[in-house]
Amino acid sequence: MNPQTRTTLTLTGLIAVFLALTVLFLLKQPGRPVQLPPIPLVDTNFLSTATVRQSYADLVRAGEDLSDFDCYACHEKGKPPPLRYDTNQNLIVPKEHSDIVMGHGSHGRNNNCFNCHNETNLELLQTRDGRQVKFSDSPLLCGSCHGPTYRDWEAGAHGRISGYWDHSLGVAERKACVNCHNPHSPHFPSRQPAPGPHPLRPMTASVEPEPNH
Amino acid sequence: MSRRNFLRTSAVVTTGLAALAASLKPLLEMNDFPTMERFLQKYYKEMTPEDMAKVIKRIEAEVEKQYGIRPHVRDLKPMDGVEFVYCLNLTRCIGCRKCVHACVAENNQSRNPEIQYIRVLKMPDGSLDVYKAEHNYNPEMVPEKGFFYMPVQCQQCKNPPCVKVCPVHATWQEADGITVIDYDWCIGCRYCEAACPYWARRFNFTKPSIPKERLNPDMAYLGNRPRRQGVMEKCHFCIQRTRAGRYPACLEVCPAGARKFGNILDPNSEVSYILKNKRVFIQLKEELGTSPRFFYYFDV
Repeated sequence: MNPQTRTTLTLTGLIAVFLALTVLFLLKQPGRPVQLPPIPLVDTNFLSTATVRQSYADLVRAGEDLSDFDCYACHEKGKPPPLRYDTNQNLIVPKEHSDIVMGHGSHGRNNNCFNCHNETNLELLQTRDGRQVKFSDSPLLCGSCHGPTYRDWEAGAHGRISGYWDHSLGVAERKACVNCHNPHSPHFPSRQPAPGPHPLRPMTASVEPEPNH
Repeated sequence: MSRRNFLRTSAVVTTGLAALAASLKPLLEMNDFPTMERFLQKYYKEMTPEDMAKVIKRIEAEVEKQYGIRPHVRDLKPMDGVEFVYCLNLTRCIGCRKCVHACVAENNQSRNPEIQYIRVLKMPDGSLDVYKAEHNYNPEMVPEKGFFYMPVQCQQCKNPPCVKVCPVHATWQEADGITVIDYDWCIGCRYCEAACPYWARRFNFTKPSIPKERLNPDMAYLGNRPRRQGVMEKCHFCIQRTRAGRYPACLEVCPAGARKFGNILDPNSEVSYILKNKRVFIQLKEELGTSPRFFYYFDV
């Protein structure tokens, strides 16, 4: 092959390569963003800072209809309502109070309404040692049995808090026991989890453990 | 030069230039070219208050142009006598992931691809092997019997490995203990992501996508202002809230009250009480000597 032919071949080859590259770049550009599968926006309910429950004090503050809480619309003043039990000593919840599930304590012996409610004035609560507590002060009643938890709650280590950690700039609003716990069955309710992560690449559920280091 | 040689050479040069032009075409689609102002912006620690005022104005204008919402950007400085500590009660956490999404909403993280600062790990009771933990659990209801949940986010280490590896000092630890990132100084090398033992740092592989209606207009320069493609980001203890005295977003949304935050230098703060009185079990991977400011504790 003489040098003249070799040059011609090389140059023709280069032209072909450049043309091919041009077409390739125009058709499928490397570095262009990949279309991602859509991810639905998270339901705003999961962003809500509302507590699990509303306390009686919250309802009073919000000016809600409190007719459901008017004990003496049905009960007679000065006459303690009678309690009835089945053969296993379980309290029979009257149908007027059928929304109440008696589940305070795992032993099933906390079955007397008047362990916490004041039997002579149903608009008050009472501790086991006879102190009368207003509904709006209910943590005092809870604390009369659950001392360590009450101590943690007072210190801010138990329970919900919102607002300002710096008390010189604003108020820290501490929620009451009954904002999270139903006093009649206080176990914290389970709930639906918010959606999990959508990784860029599909991952297996558990990653192989790394060697110790 | 012969006529034939000239024609041959110019054909090669023309096709070569065409290929080059075609390969550079994506540049035409780029719309995030830095302005001269941004290009010449000073390092955060060298900026005077006047410089910062100008930068904030520029950021506010950029955000308004892109999202149609006028944000309120602030440059909040650490408070005197304040060192932040986070405590998380593992007995109370129910694994509902509300903190994850409240954080995304508060801190203007990309929704697609998803960037999330908090990961919630699910592990069997009695174990603590984070390498075998499950991220993608999705039962009807949480908590599930026999499991516990452990949210992990930036641990705000006292001895942060991510800060040591940054070649341009775009990330550093502030006086109140928060490790921050100057998004305008980050070069996106991702060394910090590799150095972090907690997988707490996230990289913007694409331009973040945030729907207008979900943009949080209360922003901080070192906090939740929208990031660009190619920079790192991570949890900064909601700097825009906490340096204004408020609790972080993940704490306020937690339905179980498992998250506690405060000033460890204040002996009357919640976190001081917890570290003094509760069973504080771990600093995650404490054997690495990173000394996190994020503590996990238990009720007895």
